[in-house]
Amino acid sequence: MADAVAPLGEWEDVDASMSDVSEALHRLRGSDRTATRTSVVTLVAVTRTADELDRACATTETLGGRHPGRTIVILAQEDEKPGLEARVRLLEGSSDGARVWSEDVTLTVKGPAARHLDSLIEPLTLPDLPLAVWYVATCPTPDDALCATAEVVVVDSKELVDETGFADLVPVSHRRTLIDLTWVRLTPWRLLLAGLFDGRVYRPYVTQVDWAGVKGKPGVRDLLGGWLVSRLELRDVHLEDDRHASMRLVAGDGEFTVERREEERLVRASARIKGGPGHEEVLALPDMTLAWSLAEALSDLEGDHVYEEALEAAISFAR
Amino acid sequence: MTATDAPAHALPSNPLMEGLEAERRAPPCVLVVFGASGDLTSRKLMPALAELAMNRQLPSAFSVIGVARTEMSDDDFRDRMREAAPDTNPAWESLVAGFRYVAGDYGEPETFDRLEQVIDEVDQERGIGGNRVYYLATVPTVFAAVAAQLGDHGMAKATDDDAFVRIVIEKPFGHDLESALALDSALHQVFDEDQIYRIDHYLGKETVQNVLALRFANSIFEPTWNRRYIDSVQITVAESLGVGHRGGFYEQAGAMRDIVQNHVLQVLALTLMEPPASIDAQGIRDEKVKALRAVDVFTPEEVHTEVVRGQYADGWVEGEHVPAYRDEEDVAHDSTTETYLAMRLHVDNWRWAGVPIYIRTGKRLPKRVTEVAIVYQGVPHLPFKAADSRGLQPNALVLRIQPDEGISLRFGAKVPGQAFKVRSVAMDFSYGAAFLEEAPDAYERLLLDVMVGDPTLFIRTDEVEQAWRIVDPILTAWATDEAPLAFYPAGTWGPKEADQMIERDGRQWRTP
Repeated sequence: MADAVAPLGEWEDVDASMSDVSEALHRLRGSDRTATRTSVVTLVAVTRTADELDRACATTETLGGRHPGRTIVILAQEDEKPGLEARVRLLEGSSDGARVWSEDVTLTVKGPAARHLDSLIEPLTLPDLPLAVWYVATCPTPDDALCATAEVVVVDSKELVDETGFADLVPVSHRRTLIDLTWVRLTPWRLLLAGLFDGRVYRPYVTQVDWAGVKGKPGVRDLLGGWLVSRLELRDVHLEDDRHASMRLVAGDGEFTVERREEERLVRASARIKGGPGHEEVLALPDMTLAWSLAEALSDLEGDHVYEEALEAAISFAR
Repeated sequence: MTATDAPAHALPSNPLMEGLEAERRAPPCVLVVFGASGDLTSRKLMPALAELAMNRQLPSAFSVIGVARTEMSDDDFRDRMREAAPDTNPAWESLVAGFRYVAGDYGEPETFDRLEQVIDEVDQERGIGGNRVYYLATVPTVFAAVAAQLGDHGMAKATDDDAFVRIVIEKPFGHDLESALALDSALHQVFDEDQIYRIDHYLGKETVQNVLALRFANSIFEPTWNRRYIDSVQITVAESLGVGHRGGFYEQAGAMRDIVQNHVLQVLALTLMEPPASIDAQGIRDEKVKALRAVDVFTPEEVHTEVVRGQYADGWVEGEHVPAYRDEEDVAHDSTTETYLAMRLHVDNWRWAGVPIYIRTGKRLPKRVTEVAIVYQGVPHLPFKAADSRGLQPNALVLRIQPDEGISLRFGAKVPGQAFKVRSVAMDFSYGAAFLEEAPDAYERLLLDVMVGDPTLFIRTDEVEQAWRIVDPILTAWATDEAPLAFYPAGTWGPKEADQMIERDGRQWRTP
């Protein structure tokens, strides 16, 4: 992603119309001849509070280096007096002398229009490119019209604190391609555990798992547990609360673990066969920032049936 | 169940890997590096391994065993490898701590006795399961000897159906067709072809692979990718550097062996090949071989008219005065080694018949650039006044491989104003300005390919043979008669004879 991001041009208005926004985008593009466009996606981030808005803006700002395009961050405040505040920026990201340009629109939508975000977004989407909608701290409701226009819906199940969160995600995953940033962040962990069964010595153990345990915070722990249950066809998985995620599988005389120890910014993955071979891998803690997980999420806009099955299994733990 | 009574065959699939297939990761294996004290190991292989380790693409059931003549202990070897890739990431550090070293001569059976013992120890300890990769980072003269010793010691074949043994060799693959065939014969006495991975690091470059993406992922280019629309193709591989300290090597190689026989002909094959049924090792390599087989081989007389060889005289490059090739270190004062060559190839197949393929490569040219330019024919009738279309040139699609990787399309557009003047404009796409993400280094990509067993970007024996079939008659003509050697001032685009060659066809070299 971009090492540094600087605005090449900016426009804002506290009482704007959507045609003002379109015109500003057009004008900023035209004002700088270097701003040729290479785009791969339109990303809309939906927020409900000022804190979420700040988080979304900070996250999407550097995204252009990997997924150039147009980003629209919305603060939806339907209980406020009707109005539209808008800021449009043309951003230049640079890394090792290379530069990319992307467009960044921030809209504060007040009043009933906040329930019809699709009508605001459609004029701004880039033609012929996928529209990804990121619900920064919520899950879209079944009647969410913006969700219906999106090719890809991005959520972060970590943010859906109440236990109905997982259940709400299932219908979304049936309607749209759903990407869960929590699941994306778990990819390195899943890969480490799966990789322990590589090779002819260790592979046979993967079909012989007798006991599985997962520690971690609720949400993370449930998703990993759901993944193990659904993939290994286990009847049960032992779940335990902990600050850090870890997994342990026992298969006959083999033990396979991926864990982060307390106060250590390392992940240890090990395979041990009693009286036989073994190995341990020590890795730096995978990058877990929101910016990284969002960039990863947008790299593959296809659905993931492994996630959907893990999610359905996780719901039973969360009940 | 214990490790020993695990079923030997029919490895079950790994359900935990489902959905993670795109995340490439090497299986457990031992990487044996011959030439472990050499430049290639420390400059390329170790940094690539360190990067793979950091990206979690190496398993912990993995180790490197270095082999070289230099006497040193395991700890000395580990220290050297740490120096080669001074990376503080814990994954690399924990891998290096398990590296081993075997000192010995490649011709001595005892070296391989010791090596076999160390491999077995590492395998048992980590449960690697018999997977081996032998990397020959040595001078080519010992390739055959190492292969023979591995064969004699029963180390060239996997002991189990689920295990693999692979050998990696670096270019040059022989110095002519005969020696290439002899090398292949020596390797094939011990290894099957599907065990042999011939590296040309050029194919590991992201932008070379992009030639395939551009051609076969887009329907707009392929229909015009033939003699009906294309006037000519120009491939340029230019370097601004001279031979530096490699004078001794270069005297034996020259531009033909160093660049054309491998890099240029690989890029040529990717440009000319038919669409493969699938982007896999067999699909791509079958089509590359067919393309190379269709290239016309020169008679000795044609070498005089179709090929220009040149050597740089002193001159100015990037503001600096540089010496002539003959004044470089370890170069003979009367050397006839070519530092430049230009040639016009003809391809005998339905797609390319009659389309000249112009190739030029050289050292001490004005800048470093590698590109493939597809020059299209002009329109059948230009409905503009001659004076209004003076600035119009034929369409050209340029694939820039390095530096500033990208694609440029030249087309005609109206000049703003009352008059209907048209001129050429270039629409430029730069990968660097589209994605700031860094692509993996070529060695990183290729090392992982060897370990996961994907030979798509490696050169198959018949490709090597076809490349020498094209190059050999030229080298023979140069060696057996007084073929002219043209000189060019360093910092220019080559000798005037190369310009005259293309101008005879009514065309000009592009200025990259």
